[in-house]
Amino acid sequence: MQWKDTVDTTGNAERFGRDMFNDFDIDDPKFNDNFYDVLDDMVARCPVAHSTVGTGYHLINNYEDVRKAGQDWRTFSSAKGFQPNRGEGIPYLYPEESDPPYHTNWRRALNPFFAPENVNAMEESIRADANDLIDAFIADGKCEFVGQFASELPGRAFFKNLIGVPVEDLPMLLQAMDRHIYGPVAERGEQLGIALAYLGNYLKERSEQPSTGDLIDTIAAGVERDGETCPWEDRVSILTDLTLGGIATTTFVMSGAMLHLATHPEDRLTLAKDPSKIPNAVEEFVRYFPPVVALGRSVTKDVELGGYEFKKDDFVLLNYASASRDPKALDDPQRLDINRDKILHTAFGVGPHRCIGSHLARLELRVVLEELLRRIPDFSVEPGTTQEYETGVLRTMKSLHLVFGDQGDAS
Amino acid sequence: MKIAVDQELCSGHGRCYSLAPGVFSPDDDGFCAEAGTEFVVPEELVKQAQLGVGSCPEGAIREIGT
Ligand code: HEM
Ligand code: SF4
Repeated sequence: MQWKDTVDTTGNAERFGRDMFNDFDIDDPKFNDNFYDVLDDMVARCPVAHSTVGTGYHLINNYEDVRKAGQDWRTFSSAKGFQPNRGEGIPYLYPEESDPPYHTNWRRALNPFFAPENVNAMEESIRADANDLIDAFIADGKCEFVGQFASELPGRAFFKNLIGVPVEDLPMLLQAMDRHIYGPVAERGEQLGIALAYLGNYLKERSEQPSTGDLIDTIAAGVERDGETCPWEDRVSILTDLTLGGIATTTFVMSGAMLHLATHPEDRLTLAKDPSKIPNAVEEFVRYFPPVVALGRSVTKDVELGGYEFKKDDFVLLNYASASRDPKALDDPQRLDINRDKILHTAFGVGPHRCIGSHLARLELRVVLEELLRRIPDFSVEPGTTQEYETGVLRTMKSLHLVFGDQGDAS
Repeated sequence: MKIAVDQELCSGHGRCYSLAPGVFSPDDDGFCAEAGTEFVVPEELVKQAQLGVGSCPEGAIREIGT
């Protein structure tokens, strides 16, 4: 069966300025600019899309297929990385870019630090940081929310509560991670190198001090790989992957949530009046503003999925962002509904690589919204400003100008 | 309502025990503590349980009887 015979591509290329079904490029600004429309078109009529960029790759777009592929790690392996056209010689990021049983050994060691019980103990520290950040701009009556809050808070929460790296070093790491994900393909390895070197030094220093059994000591001790303790580089890689997840994702959900609340006063009022509704809204914000758009797997044997015959060594992206907008899994998915009672989404992934930081991310988002709505119950988008986004395998908002009180256009 | 939670499929999203705390609970790793078991949900918790079942991204929770 020829794939093209079964999928209607009419109007796709004209609408988006590029054929998003047969000639997709995740780094193309046209995808960034038409983000939701492209996702919705994919989920409506293109179960598997194709890219000819570099050595080429495919996207799996529907919820059921993403779930199947995500759970079937034997056929859809993470061991060759999560970025398409990954440069030669770039070190792998673990646990992300590994398969069981090695992956399982790491997750078993790391999971307890990220389980709800452990994470919930960080609530007061996160709340204090949220208030410090708000203190710095509240008197101005306005802020650039991404730079002054959303890009700062997740890093602080992660550094202070989990790894103990000085908060002053956050901007440097943020920049390196940003360039690794969104920068020119040829520079991605070098940028990752900056983060690896810094975190490697830190891990080394800590490993020379007596162990306290915390997360860093657990990483420094390593886990078993092929019958021996894993090499040192793998441990640095673990810390780097955790840091990437810890500082580069939650920012977008926070920014998206604030944009939504700035432009939907009724939802803002609902949450300000009744903070017990925030956790449900958080889950919906995570679904609607997916910081992880799509991550890669390598096909290990010929297999059929979504009506397409994949060949061994094909590279596929699991399109988590489109799967979270699949009408076959969720009613009326294009609508952001903070009161939705059944929120099914893949924003945190599926299968063994399911986000280890999801409980921390949810906590951060809840606490942050509680404090922001308590202290600034009324805010709107600064007239004359627009939001800019950047999209690759991850997605983020570059700026969000808010004004407080009744000076804005949505009050 | 009788349900089964698949141990292989549960990946610790925590949707079940957040939405249906009367039915599911987290273990020390944040996975569903009921994974690997089958049990009957009391009448008054059925509605809650259904939310949990419908919101598990892994499809790990199945209704297996009444
Ligand atoms: C709203 C915020 C977040 C979202 C939407 C998100 C999303 C995801 C997704 C989709 C995956 C699956 C990767 C795959 O399929 O290969 C993942 C994995 C991961 N996330 Fe997150 N994440 C978030 C926050 C965090 C935080 C706060 C941390 C760290 C503290 C973190 C650390 C990780 C790590 C280490 C992995 C790899 C897990 C593995 O391979 O076993 N994430 N995340
Ligand atoms: S929602 Fe599903 S995957 Fe998540 S903890 Fe419950 S059973 Fe496990």
